[in-house]
Amino acid sequence: MAAEKMKLEVWRGDWGLPSIDPHCLAVLSYCKFSRVPVEVIKTGNTWRSPTGNFPVLRHRKATFSRVTDIFTYLRKEHWGSDSHLSTKESADVVAFSAMLEEKLLPALLHLWWIDDKTYVDITRPWYAKAVPFPLSLFIPHQKQKRAELRVLLTKGGDHITDAETESKVYKEAKECLNLLSYKLGDKEYMFGRQPSSLDALVFGYLIPLIKAPLPSNPLQSHLQQCSNLCQMCNGILTTYFPAEVKEYEDNKKKEEQQKKNQGVRADVTEFPNRRRNMILAAVFAITSMIGYALATGLINVQIKDSEVTQGNRKFRTPPPQSLQGPQFETPRVLEEQQENGEE
Amino acid sequence: MSLVEYALQATLGANEPWPDDVVLFQQYQVEQITLPDYAQVLAVETFLHMCGLKFRVEQRTNAEEMSPSGKVPFIQVGPYLVSEFEPVVGFVNTKGFTLTKNMSETDRSEMRAYMSMIDSIMGNAELYMAWLNPDIASEVTKPRYGCSYPWPLNWVLPWRKQREVKAKLKANDWAYKSIEEVCEEVKICCLALSERLEKKSFFFGDSPTELDAMVFGHLFTILTTILPGGHFTSVVKEFSNLAQFCTRIEDKYFKLGFEQ
Repeated sequence: MAAEKMKLEVWRGDWGLPSIDPHCLAVLSYCKFSRVPVEVIKTGNTWRSPTGNFPVLRHRKATFSRVTDIFTYLRKEHWGSDSHLSTKESADVVAFSAMLEEKLLPALLHLWWIDDKTYVDITRPWYAKAVPFPLSLFIPHQKQKRAELRVLLTKGGDHITDAETESKVYKEAKECLNLLSYKLGDKEYMFGRQPSSLDALVFGYLIPLIKAPLPSNPLQSHLQQCSNLCQMCNGILTTYFPAEVKEYEDNKKKEEQQKKNQGVRADVTEFPNRRRNMILAAVFAITSMIGYALATGLINVQIKDSEVTQGNRKFRTPPPQSLQGPQFETPRVLEEQQENGEE
Repeated sequence: MSLVEYALQATLGANEPWPDDVVLFQQYQVEQITLPDYAQVLAVETFLHMCGLKFRVEQRTNAEEMSPSGKVPFIQVGPYLVSEFEPVVGFVNTKGFTLTKNMSETDRSEMRAYMSMIDSIMGNAELYMAWLNPDIASEVTKPRYGCSYPWPLNWVLPWRKQREVKAKLKANDWAYKSIEEVCEEVKICCLALSERLEKKSFFFGDSPTELDAMVFGHLFTILTTILPGGHFTSVVKEFSNLAQFCTRIEDKYFKLGFEQ
């Protein structure tokens, strides 16, 4: 049936994750759950996407860029991980998915894009690196603007301050985590032993929070207390994305080993061309200083012809009186020496 | 706002009983109120009825400006003003009235999930229909919203409100959906509710919860409001158990109330 392979474009990953974007992660894990034969392209080039964002699923000239649309399309193509659910459970999937978007997403957007520390330390550098050059100048800012509007317009308003909005958003998100934790209980996945699209969404939203090197924040510490949620997300990561986890661990080990090997010379590795740069800087400084001195007349170089006429040594022209500073008249000294030698 | 309710929990215990002069403020029902606002008002009213609490409804043209959060409805209990559904529920709980006493944690979390679903899907869909659909906005919503103001204001204020709603729906991507997509969302939401309700008389157990109040508020408003096009009404009518649910709640909490 699927003669043409589906192509899925996602934000590229980091920190041992297949992608760092919650929605991309959700789609990726959904595809893994239901074994969809999909070609994953990890990219950061937003010109490839019609909406300027990922995930994007392309199949037979059709393009989908919203998570719900992608799930619906995959279900239509009979790639469903929700087929084992009863109708009541399917209804729960709809309800909980809406709750995630309504309560948890604003807090995550706030954390990644509006919280100054995280934005400056992690989010902006990451996107600036992931997106190719001319785009990287404005894509992070554009994404931040969108996140800001989303959080402030849907959760805030004219009647409350930004600080109040922030505490409201985080309070709702924590409550949402509690509800998810109750719903999960001590089951393996939300609806028993098989993962569903709801698990994919929860995984997408929560795993970056667990894995990313974020500065300490209330949401992350709250999530760590919901141990069953963390366990489920880590379980999905190791079961369905072993390649990424292994690659990350290998890289980490390699890096550590490199550091160990070089040990003392850590500062050398940090600045590989240190000596060359120092010499270049010194040369540049000296040249510019000399240039300045010459231009302003601090040093005056005068090059004179050694003698006016060979026969009349006594009528050598005297140096002009107006000149100041050291004068180089080596030729005369030499000539005098020669004179003495002849006598 | 939930923040208002937060501060109140410290100062208010269950020691103070429910006073007799509680007032619920809303806009004029026949001439003024818009579809999304009326759904919210009805949900709060139903919730208070379900708790068996007495209150009086007052209609004001400037109810929106009076509310501490800028949204209707809001209730006045003694010196306190509490607006919107969730804060009202929280406030009433601190007074010792609750509808979810005997629920398990799992049930409660499911109930909260359905409530957020109604909030996000139904709430946004109603705003979309009322303010972004050009026919309905110009024929129904804007004239109603501006009905109590004199000439330049009855044009400026609805326009400003429309711009505000548009910005909000653009921020959460609802503004980019087509009317068919919005109807599809509403259908999915109703399908989920209908499957959850099945043949029972309430969503959880045999007594009403906050969710029942909220579902009634939104669905009853959609079913009884006649708008050009009538998109949502026809969608909701497909689900017979939901329509029956609405008539049942109406009979139980509103018809009797009027007789008393």
